[in-house]
Amino acid sequence: MEASSLMEEGISLMLFGMGFVFVFLTLLVIVTTLMSWVVTKIEKNIGAIPEGGISSPTTFTPRQGLLKDDDENIITVLTAAVHKYRSRK
Amino acid sequence: MDQLLQLWHNSGLYQMTPGQGIMILIGMLLLYLAINKNFEPLLLVPIGFGGVLANIPGAGLAEHGGILHLFYAVGIESGAFPLIIFMGVGAMTDFGPLLSNPRTLFLGAAAQFGIFVTLMGAVTLSTLGVFDFSLADAAAIGIIGGADGPTSIYVASKLAPDLLGAIAVASYSYMALVPLIQPPIMRALTNDAERKIKMVQQRHVSHREKIIFPLILLLLVAFLLPDAAPLLGMFCFGNLMKECAVVDRLSNTTQNSLINTVTIFLGLAVGSKLSADKFLDLTTLGILVLGMVAFSIGTASGVIMAKLMNKLGGSQINPLIGSAGVSAVPMAARVSNKLGLEADPHNFLLMHAMGPNVAGVIGSAVAAGIMINYVGG
Repeated sequence: MEASSLMEEGISLMLFGMGFVFVFLTLLVIVTTLMSWVVTKIEKNIGAIPEGGISSPTTFTPRQGLLKDDDENIITVLTAAVHKYRSRK
Repeated sequence: MDQLLQLWHNSGLYQMTPGQGIMILIGMLLLYLAINKNFEPLLLVPIGFGGVLANIPGAGLAEHGGILHLFYAVGIESGAFPLIIFMGVGAMTDFGPLLSNPRTLFLGAAAQFGIFVTLMGAVTLSTLGVFDFSLADAAAIGIIGGADGPTSIYVASKLAPDLLGAIAVASYSYMALVPLIQPPIMRALTNDAERKIKMVQQRHVSHREKIIFPLILLLLVAFLLPDAAPLLGMFCFGNLMKECAVVDRLSNTTQNSLINTVTIFLGLAVGSKLSADKFLDLTTLGILVLGMVAFSIGTASGVIMAKLMNKLGGSQINPLIGSAGVSAVPMAARVSNKLGLEADPHNFLLMHAMGPNVAGVIGSAVAAGIMINYVGG
């Protein structure tokens, strides 16, 4: 490549490149801000996803009122645990 | 007697050229820096050892058919290793600080200025006849200023495979030297009052935003710059795996065992490029110097951009976090934090600096895409 044209190519790549980086990241700033705004709006109505994430699709979280008594619930769990522990021995 | 003579002729001592001897010493130097000085040991140990292996006379480990050459062909020539590493980096990245203050993306953009100035520097040098760099070579050298190892290697493997060894070594050594190179520049460009600026507490970023962000970034890349899609696509994929939290097993593998495995082979493969005939050259010295320039300018322009943004209004930004725009996660952010604490022992900038820091990763990947698009296409 001829020397002067190499310089020209370099300059145009620099201007084009720097310009594009800014355009791209500016767009990203705009889109991100918009997204955050929309998400915040929506979450006001439907509530946020729990902080730790939805840990696994198979997780079962009993809803309030599904199980009648909390004590009963705990006893069931304890019995199951003791049973499992004994059966392992 | 003949057999003894033959044994002697086959020995390393007999076959060794002075260049190979020097390269083995350079490999040992890299090992010394990694082990004793703790300079990016995760990479410099495999690279240094690979360099020694590649220069064992008569063994031909880095030549066609040798094991290091094989690693190189499989992982770097194909572009696979840097991309897999990028996926792991994505899975380790938290976009929270960036999302809470998206303006810091501009700092990450500004810090890419070093890349393009260095490109011009390399082009100028070859116009003056000092070196013989093509535009593709110049672009690959400039990317060192992005201070992002995998990106540098990816671009170099596409645009300037001959210079890959020197570029990889330069970019990883400068990443290790961040705590030495950046502070003087940052101190020179800021005054005491600016260093003491306290930034507004970051807002809470909801989980949903963190899940949507990589998808948005991906779409933007897909629409605007498909050449950056390999790098940023893998990056977004890794990040989505982490944030969506339903594939913890995949995300953990990507962050740990996969990235570690690939790092070993990547290091060895880069080491195989440290052969005497390619590395012992004035060009290498030029690349090391230009890389340093790229890095310093990137740091400076990040700081200057932060000062500019303060002039334009909005909530105040401590200019010290501007320097974190040159990726080098998380080292650059730690440097910002350290200098902030020096000026004011109650001013913790680490989380604020993580914003421009990850923005720098995106910025340098975008710059890499442009280089590949412009030079290759």
